[in-house]
Amino acid sequence: MSTAPLVDRPGGTSLFLLPSGRVDGPTFLADAHALAAALPEARHVFNLCRDRYHFVVAFAAALIRGQASLLCGDATPAVLEAVAARYGCAAALADDPAVPSPVPVIAVRPERRRAPAPNPALPREQLAAIVFTSGSTGVPTPHRKLWGALVDRSRAAGLRFALEERGPASIVGTVPPGHMYGFETTVLLPLHAACASWCGQAFFPGDVQAALDAVPSPRVVVTTPLQMRALLQGMDRAAVRALISATAPLDPAMAAAAETRWGAPVLEIFGATECGSIASRRTVEGEAWSPYPGVTLREEGEATLVHAEQMDAVTLADELAMLGDGRFRLLGRRADMVKMGGRRASLAGLNRILTGLDGVRDGIFVVPDDLDRRTTARLLAVVVAPDRTAPSILADLRDRLDPLFLPRRVVHVEALPRNALGKLPRQALLELLARVEAG
Amino acid sequence: MPGDIVTNPDNTSPALDRTPAEAALAELIVSSLQLEIAPDEIEPEERLFGEGLGLDSIDALELALAISRSYGFELRSDDERNRRIFASLRSLSSHIEAHRTK
Repeated sequence: MSTAPLVDRPGGTSLFLLPSGRVDGPTFLADAHALAAALPEARHVFNLCRDRYHFVVAFAAALIRGQASLLCGDATPAVLEAVAARYGCAAALADDPAVPSPVPVIAVRPERRRAPAPNPALPREQLAAIVFTSGSTGVPTPHRKLWGALVDRSRAAGLRFALEERGPASIVGTVPPGHMYGFETTVLLPLHAACASWCGQAFFPGDVQAALDAVPSPRVVVTTPLQMRALLQGMDRAAVRALISATAPLDPAMAAAAETRWGAPVLEIFGATECGSIASRRTVEGEAWSPYPGVTLREEGEATLVHAEQMDAVTLADELAMLGDGRFRLLGRRADMVKMGGRRASLAGLNRILTGLDGVRDGIFVVPDDLDRRTTARLLAVVVAPDRTAPSILADLRDRLDPLFLPRRVVHVEALPRNALGKLPRQALLELLARVEAG
Repeated sequence: MPGDIVTNPDNTSPALDRTPAEAALAELIVSSLQLEIAPDEIEPEERLFGEGLGLDSIDALELALAISRSYGFELRSDDERNRRIFASLRSLSSHIEAHRTK
């Protein structure tokens, strides 16, 4: 049976950087084993920790016990309940005892006391996590992550970003630990690649600035296009070796501005929750993406399949064109997908949730044309619901949707301009909206 | 303009129950997030995030930039305290008044 160690870093080096001090491998392993001993018998546990260090201790404790962590991102209570029932999940690991949870909460309070603890060799075939995305039916879709695939990808990223070269890097990540991109780059990466991950606050530009002041050089910022834009406006000075962005294509002009401002390369990762990070590029060098070592892309008809060890083949939601040299270019997103703040949802799924509400006879979400370019742009919902008020529909949606996908406005109409096939031509919808706006 | 004071001469508008600073902040929130409501529709004690106005994490970032531009200081995350600061127009406004440099 092929295995990979939980931690593969030299003894005394830092893995995680907390505002109150650094955590090395032995301390981390002691924390993980202490929590593992307190876990009930289970096959799956929720990881609802908000703090990055608590999150990684909870994930490792579950691994040690052979339990898979269920990662639901910003799931609503209704989604957590559905997932708990589906997986017979009996416990949630959380650092906030008041966190809404459909199952009993086990408190995660690592003491960071260095004590002898083994570094387990875990089977590469072990189910380490199940990461959920909102599916096209409105029901969350599970994506299984085997330990071997996660470790391979951390090692590949370590090589790709040359973390070893100038001494271990300090990673300051603005992305949450339970989102696939944040999970890979800020939780898993320090276990197998030469870096340590900052576990204090890093959301507002002021936080990132303070975090960069607190961690040792060389520093790498892991962020998103939205946060990069905020950093460009709010963070003047920073000694960073690189900035890494993902979740949506970065505007080349913004990448160039960031390279000039901070005198460091701006790199992008391409990936998806289904398959994790699979390629990277330096934005200012052009459109072509280079797949990570160990990742193979194959075109099958219109679709592209991703292959890697310990991973079922994944069909990408993005359309891409393979270039002759193994690299590829992104062409666009499949029409049904809408992406907001790094999260993805199926429009068909959103519409199904909307039309499933009591008193909503018909309804549709409308995506503004400039959704990708305007950070204040949000979805709009058009409904036929004579007996429901807009606030009451919003309140129902709030229980069922990630807040990013909530419509900024709910517009009432008498009927939707469906054609003979029941389809809604976008032009007819936009004309109807214009008439409603004009009063 | 963020610095302008909303006057309320006839004492009938809902803007009565708010301070000039709160009214100016309400204007900034509406303009920076391009909300489709009037500034005086934001109730001073209403929740800005989740229920109430229903702002999300992208809005928080956008708002932090607007506050930094208009009031000259950077917002910081600080768990519990932050949740209190962002709770309502009133709490955010009093935090800004205590920290603004312009």
